[in-house]
Amino acid sequence: MRLPCPYCGQRDSREFVYRGDAAPTRPSSEEGMYDYVYLRDNVPGPMREHWYHAQGCRNWITVTRDTRTHRISAAVLAREDSR
Amino acid sequence: MSRLSFGGLIDRAQPLNFTFDGMKHAGFAGDTLASALIANGVKLVGRSFKYHRPRGILTAGSEEPNALVTLRSGARAEPNTRATTVQLFEGLEAKSQNRWPTLSVDVMALNQVFAPILVAGFYYKTFMWPAKYWEKLYEPIIRRAAGLGQLSMEPDPDSYERAHGFCDLLVIGAGPSGLIAAVTAARAGLRVIIADGDWVLGGRLCSERHVINEAAAGKWVDDTVAELRATPNVTLLSRTQIFGAYDGCEYGALEQVSDHLGNIPPGKSRQRFWKIIAGRTILATGAIERPLVFGGNDKPGVMTASAAATYVNRFAAVPGRRAVVFTTTDSGWSAAEDLMSAGVQLAAVVDPRTDSQPPAAARLRQAGIEILSGAALTDVHGRTVRSVDVLLKDGSRRRISADLVLMSGGWNPSIGLGSNLGDRPVWSDLVHSFVLNTAPPGMKATGAAAGHFSLSGSLADGVRAAEETLRELGRTSAVAPAPLAGDEPSASSPPWYSRGHRSKAFVDFQNDVTDADVSLAAREGFVSIEHLKRYTTLGMATDQGKTSQLNGHAVLAAATGKSIAEAGTIMSRPPYLPVAIGALAGHHQNTAFRPERRTASHEWARERGATFVDAGLWKRAQWFAHPGERDWLQTVSREVSMTRSGVGICDVSTLGKIDVHGPDAGILLDRLYINMFSTLPVGRARYGVMLREDGFVMDDGTTARLGEDRFYVTTTTLNAAKIMQHIDYARQVLWPELDVQATSVTEQWSTYSVAGPLSRPLLQMLLPDLDLSNDSFAFMAAIELRWRNLPARLSRLSFSGELAYEISVPASHGEMLVRALFTAGDAFHAVPYGTEALGVMRIEKGHPAGNEINGQTTAADLAMGRMMSKKKDYIGRAMAERPALSDTNRPSLVGVRPLGGARLRAGAHLLPQGRDPLAANDQGYITSAAYSPSRGQWIGLALLQGGAARHGELVTVHDPVRGPDFAAEICDPVFVDPEGVRVRG
Amino acid sequence: MDSDYRLTERPGLGMATIMARKGIQPAVIGAVLGFLPPDGPERAADARLALIGTGPGTWLALAETPEADWVTQLANKLNGLASVSDQSGSYVVLRIAGSGARETLQRGVFIDLHPAVFRSGSAATTVIEHIGVVLWQLDDVPTFEIATFRSFASNIRHWFELAAAS
Repeated sequence: MRLPCPYCGQRDSREFVYRGDAAPTRPSSEEGMYDYVYLRDNVPGPMREHWYHAQGCRNWITVTRDTRTHRISAAVLAREDSR
Repeated sequence: MSRLSFGGLIDRAQPLNFTFDGMKHAGFAGDTLASALIANGVKLVGRSFKYHRPRGILTAGSEEPNALVTLRSGARAEPNTRATTVQLFEGLEAKSQNRWPTLSVDVMALNQVFAPILVAGFYYKTFMWPAKYWEKLYEPIIRRAAGLGQLSMEPDPDSYERAHGFCDLLVIGAGPSGLIAAVTAARAGLRVIIADGDWVLGGRLCSERHVINEAAAGKWVDDTVAELRATPNVTLLSRTQIFGAYDGCEYGALEQVSDHLGNIPPGKSRQRFWKIIAGRTILATGAIERPLVFGGNDKPGVMTASAAATYVNRFAAVPGRRAVVFTTTDSGWSAAEDLMSAGVQLAAVVDPRTDSQPPAAARLRQAGIEILSGAALTDVHGRTVRSVDVLLKDGSRRRISADLVLMSGGWNPSIGLGSNLGDRPVWSDLVHSFVLNTAPPGMKATGAAAGHFSLSGSLADGVRAAEETLRELGRTSAVAPAPLAGDEPSASSPPWYSRGHRSKAFVDFQNDVTDADVSLAAREGFVSIEHLKRYTTLGMATDQGKTSQLNGHAVLAAATGKSIAEAGTIMSRPPYLPVAIGALAGHHQNTAFRPERRTASHEWARERGATFVDAGLWKRAQWFAHPGERDWLQTVSREVSMTRSGVGICDVSTLGKIDVHGPDAGILLDRLYINMFSTLPVGRARYGVMLREDGFVMDDGTTARLGEDRFYVTTTTLNAAKIMQHIDYARQVLWPELDVQATSVTEQWSTYSVAGPLSRPLLQMLLPDLDLSNDSFAFMAAIELRWRNLPARLSRLSFSGELAYEISVPASHGEMLVRALFTAGDAFHAVPYGTEALGVMRIEKGHPAGNEINGQTTAADLAMGRMMSKKKDYIGRAMAERPALSDTNRPSLVGVRPLGGARLRAGAHLLPQGRDPLAANDQGYITSAAYSPSRGQWIGLALLQGGAARHGELVTVHDPVRGPDFAAEICDPVFVDPEGVRVRG
Repeated sequence: MDSDYRLTERPGLGMATIMARKGIQPAVIGAVLGFLPPDGPERAADARLALIGTGPGTWLALAETPEADWVTQLANKLNGLASVSDQSGSYVVLRIAGSGARETLQRGVFIDLHPAVFRSGSAATTVIEHIGVVLWQLDDVPTFEIATFRSFASNIRHWFELAAAS
């Protein structure tokens, strides 16, 4: 699989570390912390995912990838990802 | 000998000697092992998997299910090699498989007596009772009987390489449509990679007799290949099999670099594993001929019609003297003509079709060959083919003598790669087979792989595919039309099989699946295509059903009344052909399996006699044995004693080190650590603990503040990468509004721990201008300085519990520093110590390390609850306060002292005294154990239920694998200098 | 396969990581250093200093003949604009030059090194056989340089030996 790093370009997925769903937002208090740590939606379709380009630019990116077809439709630097 | 004296793509000036089952034979350069065997009249090449029936060569390609041999001997022996694709070389050694004691006398053929029991799925219904015989009887028998071929069990002596390819267009297959597509795209300037598994290019043009542009087709192939080789933007890979399509337009391919050489030159690799990224892909993989299903269709002497034509046309090898041709296709007739021109007697051509016949029929009738239309071959007689039974149109039966049967049941486009990514093929009534409907992104099938079976159709389709590709890539270019070729008839009928047969009729040759097995499966309810495959094992052998899948579908369709189109077909999974694991591993074998990381002191440590241990990818000195020392325990105890009484030096460079800089660096660290760091004064270091968001301890380390906005974070060796990733996640994703930068400097600094009462005077010798007195450079001080005009760092940190320092210089000069330390250290009898002594000392001081920070412990468990700040939020704070994680009855860190001098071992469990060793009574376990020279006994750290309140209590240490139970006392985990006086001195 | 190339080590370089502070554009850093740092994975240089783009707002700086306190001077110059970390000990830099350099490197890296897409001034941070490398092209000989972490360097050298043998 290839991932389109916004800085480095198309790269083998093995240069990256996969973290998971980019949707959950860290709550600022206990309220919602349990869900944030443990609960995830398992979506059959496009999902936004966090990947770390560990062996490249060392930036976190948010990749939109269809979990059924594996087609990647978008990738942005996570810090620029507006939610 | 059955070799024609002229013709074929073999070189009669280069004879080659080879052996098969110990018998010497001769062939020519250009032969495959199979063609050479045929030319030598060898009919029997193996025994079938289940029934051990004698088998011959069925095909001339990589779809071969029968002629599996073990190639070569010794460490390079390769089982299950298809004789049909092995390029013959001088001295080739091959042996047949799955027979004992010999191929012609195989004791296991007795299996045929048990045939009625050994039907499909028999292992689901047998070997059940009596159950007690399973382990000792049934399993050993099954293991001995199962499997095809045997591994040599010796290490692979060959080397394998990796290569990477990038192209605008990948053409898979160098037959007519592939070649024309590649050359069309190349002329338009595209970067093209074209790959074919054979060493001679041209595909079907090597096996059939065709005319292109009014000359023999071979000339067109040679001219096109020459043009491709001469074009700089083209990479032409022969002997290269594309074995899989993967996400991201990535393709895996295996190039057989040296397999065809008898002896591989030293240093040259045997095979090359290609990873190719293709903008577009053209699947020009051709089509595979279907066998027909009739009684005895697996006997030596029965082969596909195109195979027989290939042996005659390409290899000038004649597979028999008198042939019956049984065909439902027009191409079968062409094969009959090819054999006739090679001098084979045609006993009859049997074609069940009653409608129009191809022009070849008239030519054969004119030559006096008997044509039987509307007829069907039902059974074959003889151990190898001797005669056949034919059921005529009028219902009568005839026996015809022959030693060769050609069968042609239709053509299956070879679309396996096209379904690798989940695209299910669809039925085509036009070609009576499955074709691609959707395909992996960027891929299109062409030529016979797309159902265009005539040569002119195939060539035109290749041009069309190339034109489409150019359009898609925005490259408009004038495109030459396809060359002139014949539009030979290519009709066939739907998959057909014989119903009136009396002997076993095979569908899957390699797994010995008969049409009766398929019908049985249907009767037992396995009516889905996917169930049929798994229940009967049809299509599950090493040939992945290339010659069996469709026929199985046909039999199933008849049994269930559901059409093949409705039932669908299974999908193909990579690899398309077997790939050696060594090829995938490449250089990553033995000691090169993973990279090895060495510190700057490695050479020096080796000189000093260090024994090394793996810490992640690093090699670290474990201990430095002196000659005459009895064992590692004596060495390590000496290192500990001498450090605690004098001075010891240890390389601690492998710990993770991260520069965290910026105006908000302190704030970020406050949010990552359980304790405060923004308040840390410049020039000081502090021990910190990081939690995971679920409240469990993730890592610990000391962080120093070297400037207002400059922090120097350290981590454990094994978590260095994880913490770097964590810090980057925090500053880029969680809190991007903070102005903080972080970069790994693990490799920048060589760091040595200098520990012991004499550490101060030793360092003073190295740093004469620095005031190292306790008042000026107190415990936990951290500064930057220069040493021999190099940037350096010095801190007073202690993992050992002694007065200790850590001194760092750039790793390029790390060896210089360690040598200087020991030169200065001579006067103090400084001792080098390794990871074992380091471990003993930290256990003596009760410091948690990886054994305790195991992902299941909280800060409170490790007696660090008081470090958890209540003034700020940090990762893990909320979840660490969950009631279950604050429960004081959780296993918590304690010290363990055995009574009576017993030896403690990590992993031993702790039970209340007098209770049975049951899980219900288990109260904890020993996480770390060491022999303490300071205390003269074995000591340990443990996690014990409610341990903090149980100091003084006696428990039973239970370690039944390694010794008898004994008693131990629970105590404070700090065994040496509990007041912490030495570090502060 | 063309395997004609020379492999040499480049010791003694001054190296540092420069990471722009929040809101600081490359042009601002360029004004201080005297030339514009590259915006993407490329190499820009003047007579004394080279900058390789390794990430957004992040550069690997290389100095041919660094003075003893080169990094401190650089950090002072960029005070308030960027964070600077000494990496002079971190890396081993190898130079690979010759007609076979590109093909040889292509066997190790899984990014397209074709001259149409990777040319003089191009750079990339990627892996050779699981080992991280920073790679850049200096000229059309072609001459490449790769920087790899010191502890991994012997593995990279070994890879070149195997690549040359086959």
